[in-house]
Amino acid sequence: MTLKKVESSLPTFAHRPLGELVRFENVGLRYGVGAETLTDVSFAIEPQSFQFLTGASGTGKTTLLRLIMQALKPTRGMIALFGQDTSQLDKEGLTSLRRRMGIVFQDFRLLDHLTTYENVALPLKVQGREEATYRAEVSELLNWVGLGDLMHVTPAVLSGGEKQRASIARALVAQPELLLADEPTGNVDPSLARRLLRLFVEMNRSGTAILIATHDLSLMDQIDGARRLVLADRRLHIESGHD
Amino acid sequence: MTDRSGIPRTPRFALSRLVPLFQRDPMVAADPVTDKALIAVIAIMTFLAAMTAGAAQFTASTTSRWQVLMASEVTVQLKPQGSRPIETDIVRATDILRGTTGVSSVKVFSREESSKLLEPWLGSASAIESLPIPRLIAVRIDADQPPDMAALGKAVADSVPGASLDDHRNWTRRLSRISDLFLLVSLSALVLVLTATGLAIVFATRGAMAGNREIIEVLHFIGADDRYIATQFQRHFAVLGIRGGLIGGGAALILLLALRIAGSSSVGLLDANGLSGLALPGSEMMAATVLVIVLVGLVAGMASRITVYRTIGRLA
Repeated sequence: MTLKKVESSLPTFAHRPLGELVRFENVGLRYGVGAETLTDVSFAIEPQSFQFLTGASGTGKTTLLRLIMQALKPTRGMIALFGQDTSQLDKEGLTSLRRRMGIVFQDFRLLDHLTTYENVALPLKVQGREEATYRAEVSELLNWVGLGDLMHVTPAVLSGGEKQRASIARALVAQPELLLADEPTGNVDPSLARRLLRLFVEMNRSGTAILIATHDLSLMDQIDGARRLVLADRRLHIESGHD
Repeated sequence: MTDRSGIPRTPRFALSRLVPLFQRDPMVAADPVTDKALIAVIAIMTFLAAMTAGAAQFTASTTSRWQVLMASEVTVQLKPQGSRPIETDIVRATDILRGTTGVSSVKVFSREESSKLLEPWLGSASAIESLPIPRLIAVRIDADQPPDMAALGKAVADSVPGASLDDHRNWTRRLSRISDLFLLVSLSALVLVLTATGLAIVFATRGAMAGNREIIEVLHFIGADDRYIATQFQRHFAVLGIRGGLIGGGAALILLLALRIAGSSSVGLLDANGLSGLALPGSEMMAATVLVIVLVGLVAGMASRITVYRTIGRLA
């Protein structure tokens, strides 16, 4: 069964922007005074699209994701997020853009002193929402990712796969327009990797654009028609949908 | 006990809804050892600050009482003038004093009483019997309509050779100066203690933020703004400051109350030892202690707020 056939159980978003979510134009990045890590990177991410970012280890996948999430500033070139030139962004603007993105970190980045529920609810809490308005929503999402019974435990007692699902749930809970995932299946077995990928596909069907950084070819082969952004020799090559 | 969604509803949770100090501050990964050490430091600082404020208040009250006591009484001193009978001069001076408006009462110290006053410096009464001891007249003044001291002094000196009036002005002035100096020193000590408290909070906040650096980064990525993050840290340290302040200030209040009780039962003993007019810890000292607790809370809140905003800028 291909994952295309998975029926979505999530609601679709009523409103989606028509413009590009991400645009890179001739972006270059160098650390210190060395050679550029990324050179002349140009691409765009459309709303509701699904793409993989791939390449050998050390080619700059995580660096590229960090540029999108504005953890790094480019040495040259232009990056626009949700139609806004990021070089013109102030702190409030940056916060506003980050609230439209969900991020799944390679190392999960769950807060160890919070429960699974509190971790997943965090993006809604920091937006100032009252707990009563999202309690049922978060519980439902945790059940959806199979963590309903582990709602009140801390990450210390979760397995790698459970942490990964909690991390994904946290990235999805605010229903972002763009989801960035860095090696989301890197720490799990193939069976769980397929289940996690299914989560991303369902999220994409509900309207979220997905960018998954991975070097796992078999994972990419499971999604027909997904675009591949391939990093090699510090440059980005775009391969349109694979069948 | 849980609610519909499985969220625990413990008594502590219920209490946190009512009392902000019991609310969890989940964004800050607290280090219990550091937090307890900080609370202890703040408690000690608050105690010292409260004691300093109490000492300043005690000095001000006692000085004020002593000044009132000294201003309500003047002394006329009659030095023996050769073979001139001093008892006659005493009667003349007493008549002038009693005839002056504003003088409430006049008390003549006998030769024995005068000798006894000098006993601590000159030895037993028998040893100074042969010395020309000055005689003293204690004059109590009506505080509501005091006489013209200069005129009264001149009248006494003109009528009685060797007589002089001491209105204790020099003593009062010196006492006032010493009191002002002590208040200045106390105020400086209070400022230093509050500064030290602020610095302790600054270092603790910076340490906590460095330890929570990854959490701050994650919070930024999931859409938290600086104000939200700052509020979490500020609240955490303000609560620690208030807790420490309450412990230290509470201890100071208990000590002041104990001193008050001990002082009340020893008033007679103090008076007998010439320490009348000492101010016992009262509502002013209690108010000063409460003010110190509030100041410590404010300093803790401000120090953590400033530090958090500066550090967040660097981390971002």
